[in-house]
Amino acid sequence: MDQSGRYSPQSAPATEDGFDLAAADAALAGTPFAGKLRYFPTIHSTNTYAMQQADAGAPEGMVYLADEQTAGRGRGAHAWSSPPGSGLYVSVLLRPRMAPADALWLSLAAGLAVRAAVEEVTSLRADLRWPNDLLLGRRKFCGILTELNAEVTRVRHAVVGIGINVHQEQFPEELRTLATSLCIETGRNWARQDLLLALLQSLQREVSALTSATNHAESILRRLEGASSWIRGRRVRVEEGEGFSGITEGLDARGFLVVRTAEGLRTVYSGGVREDHSATVR
Amino acid sequence: MNPEEMKELKELIEFLKENKIGEFDLERGDLKVRIKFAQEGGADAAGLARLLAAAQQSVAAPAVVSTVPVVHAVHASAPASAAAEAPVDENAGLHIVKSPIVGTFYESPSPGTPAFVKVGDQVENGQVLCIVEAMKLMNEIESDATGEVVKRFVQSGQPVEYGQPLFAVRQR
Repeated sequence: MDQSGRYSPQSAPATEDGFDLAAADAALAGTPFAGKLRYFPTIHSTNTYAMQQADAGAPEGMVYLADEQTAGRGRGAHAWSSPPGSGLYVSVLLRPRMAPADALWLSLAAGLAVRAAVEEVTSLRADLRWPNDLLLGRRKFCGILTELNAEVTRVRHAVVGIGINVHQEQFPEELRTLATSLCIETGRNWARQDLLLALLQSLQREVSALTSATNHAESILRRLEGASSWIRGRRVRVEEGEGFSGITEGLDARGFLVVRTAEGLRTVYSGGVREDHSATVR
Repeated sequence: MNPEEMKELKELIEFLKENKIGEFDLERGDLKVRIKFAQEGGADAAGLARLLAAAQQSVAAPAVVSTVPVVHAVHASAPASAAAEAPVDENAGLHIVKSPIVGTFYESPSPGTPAFVKVGDQVENGQVLCIVEAMKLMNEIESDATGEVVKRFVQSGQPVEYGQPLFAVRQR
């Protein structure tokens, strides 16, 4: 928030950084999330649970959050380390009225929403690595995984899962160059509740604009260009199919990343994008 | 149409022949393909396969294909009246499940776990068949038919286009 500090870092130890659901409901009045927060001290994966609840008919706006995930997931076989008391692990159930192909915008909008929330609370301006990883410097502190269930012409439900490293003071050796936390970056312990509220409010703004405003896709593309150092002129390795390297050359009209390779332009649909450290791009 | 796509098209034609499907429409990005076999089409289909084999060596493959009377390959800018609602002859009882988005096809929830379905499995309407992922959005693709999975058109990890056939289900 502002410098006068509506969001002041907690002086309490990180392990006491709990959630006050009643206060959250009050703060979220007027959004689809008020009265719909469910908290778990421990759970396998908030996304898995949210998808199960969605299948069983849970309403739009349900928010599932956990202090600890025992099987937090990223893309493919990637796990998301979610030890107790250290991060914000939250999955949001949406039922947007849109076609499945348009739901891809949710994935990009979610990254922008989290970035805005983190800036609002901490003043940090995160870098966005396509499609929606959030980095501080070269290290990642937030991952987003969206799961969709759709008929041919309409989305039935979407679950946006967000994991933010908040209180971790260090990471295991093998992750140290790849991962960071808000605590490591600022030396402060930020309240997860503040991050949660700012995040839900910014996500609501994005989803509402996506389903009602015209030209919101263009707004997303424009803001991504402004928020990401990865979209143009970055030498990257793309883990798609057999993998390829090249230099990023912007987004196409659908939001896919375009990479110039030795064989010409290629469009990245789903592959993870990483910095390419090899000497030559072939 | 690149060599890989030509190979896929040939496989598709073989499959259509085996299952005696008279007509088939495919939309894939800018490309629309319509395949219509003549009655008693065995000989025509064989001729078509030969022509496709020849076309594969040609740079201007789509143009070559479009000269074959039974196959029309047209780009999206051309009149698209050929694209019918039902891609497959209803009488054949085969239903093609297509991808609703561009992305990467995955046969299982995550690498190393069993596939959602195998060829030969009985599936219900609404059952998840696979995942198509784009932009870290995992899209569960459900069967929109009840019956037996008789064909999977793509390999796990392979990119798929909007509207590309993923599975054939013999409806019951």
